[in-house]
Amino acid sequence: MTLPALHAAGLSVSGRLEAVSLDLGPGELVAMVGPNGAGKSTLIQAMAGLLPAHGAIQWNGQSLSHIPAAERGRRLAWVGQEAHFEFAFPVREVVAQGRYAWGDDPTGVAEALAELDLTFLADRPATRLSGGERHRVALARALATQAPIQLWDEPVAQLDVRHALEVMRLARRLADGGGTVVVSLHDLRAAYRFDRVLVLDRGRLVGNGGPHEVLTADLIRQVFRVEATFVESLVPELPPV
Amino acid sequence: MRARLAIPILAALLALAFLASLAFGELRLSFGQVVSALVGGGDDIARTVVRDFRLPRALVGMAAGAALGASGVVMQAFFRNPLASPGLLGVSSGGALGAVAVLAMGPMLGFASATLWALPVASVLGAFGATGAVLMLAQRGAGTERLLLSGVALNALLGAGTSFLLTTTAGHFEVNAQILFWLMGGLESRSWEHVWMGVPAILLGCFLLLPLGRAMDLLSLGEQSAQSLGVDVRRLRRQLIVLSTVLTALATAVGGIIGFVGLVVPHILRLAFGPAHRRLLPHSMLGGAAFLLACDLVTRTFPIGLRLGVVTALVGGPFFLWLLRRPR
Repeated sequence: MTLPALHAAGLSVSGRLEAVSLDLGPGELVAMVGPNGAGKSTLIQAMAGLLPAHGAIQWNGQSLSHIPAAERGRRLAWVGQEAHFEFAFPVREVVAQGRYAWGDDPTGVAEALAELDLTFLADRPATRLSGGERHRVALARALATQAPIQLWDEPVAQLDVRHALEVMRLARRLADGGGTVVVSLHDLRAAYRFDRVLVLDRGRLVGNGGPHEVLTADLIRQVFRVEATFVESLVPELPPV
Repeated sequence: MRARLAIPILAALLALAFLASLAFGELRLSFGQVVSALVGGGDDIARTVVRDFRLPRALVGMAAGAALGASGVVMQAFFRNPLASPGLLGVSSGGALGAVAVLAMGPMLGFASATLWALPVASVLGAFGATGAVLMLAQRGAGTERLLLSGVALNALLGAGTSFLLTTTAGHFEVNAQILFWLMGGLESRSWEHVWMGVPAILLGCFLLLPLGRAMDLLSLGEQSAQSLGVDVRRLRRQLIVLSTVLTALATAVGGIIGFVGLVVPHILRLAFGPAHRRLLPHSMLGGAAFLLACDLVTRTFPIGLRLGVVTALVGGPFFLWLLRRPR
């Protein structure tokens, strides 16, 4: 039996998250959905070890408190909902920060820039980017870590349709390569394409499973207070490579 | 490319300012006379002036400038705000209040002779008090307004304490003059005792800061992202706050309140040679040292009672206003 890549038991953050337990395996592409304030960012930060939380967290079967800081940087990458850069580092240097835990060995930085379509911006100061471009820089930095666990908090909220699709394709590819990728998002239609969907509501995990079993009209009505119907509709896709 | 020239350029500027500090003053010496006085030659007067008066003054000035430049860089990375600096946040005022308290109480408590050691200690304590207050008032990653307003409030509060001590010692002219000295900053009549009191510890502090530059790059772009990328953020924050506070306090103990160095110097060097802290830290140490000596030269060249703190403020104040107006 393979160990879960991410294990949480009774994870609580006062006022924001209540006793969340879950196991995510290697190779899983996981969507996290829920209304504003449901606790998506909190859960992601807690699992990444960036917030003080009660309960148990394990990465690959190892308790988080036993993993030293640098080792954490090699195992898990986190992309926050906000990407602000106060100092004018060139984009290339921001992405290269993803290699900090590897002693700044530059492997994969150029590939990460290319993957997020940032090569032409590599020398631009990070302070002079649009919101969507900043998010792509943050994603490229996470990708450059080559960490097998990737937690991305609303990575596509500010991206145009093409870059959003590319990010989703990248997430799928990382999972197919054995990674564990958790993506929080608001687009329930996009969530349908993930291996697993986590639904959060007022700090509780109310849904956890395959998209078809979890994202039912009933649950959507109950959590999001909207009516969901299943119809044929326009689906933008990247052209075949 | 350009960044590679930074160290030679800054070192040359510093060497120039250093030699000028030894040569200029009431007794004008040539660079040749300065060099021969330094190595023990030349006439007695020149040797005494250079070795006993100007050399300690220049060394203290360089150390204070390096310390203030470095702690400015650290505070900006720490608060992720390019406007943070020891003077604006009140850390210098805290150090000054500590020093002034020793000066004011010293004679009453009867340890006037020990003030040379009591001063830096009290200054460090005062600065830590101010740093603690700033940390409480403006949480990490605080916005510019909150940070600056906290600094304004703290500076006013600490200034009031200092003024109070100033009035209570109004009868003691010597004490009063010393206190005023601290409030306006200056390098007059710095002796070798001041050199020993501040310079070795400042050098040590600068030395300990240098290896933290890379981690500061990550911290300056976000605390959580830095931690997720493998930085031990809690430990780094502790190291940075202790080192920057001690450096500011030591600079204040040997030279009084000298504002704006930690703001102006890192800012210009960041624009000129880039924001990477592994380079920005040594750049700001060299640049701060050269800048402070240059300002001190101005106070000597125009003997109309200009004080060092006044000159740095005359340069830094307008610069700061320009920064505030600049679109971010």
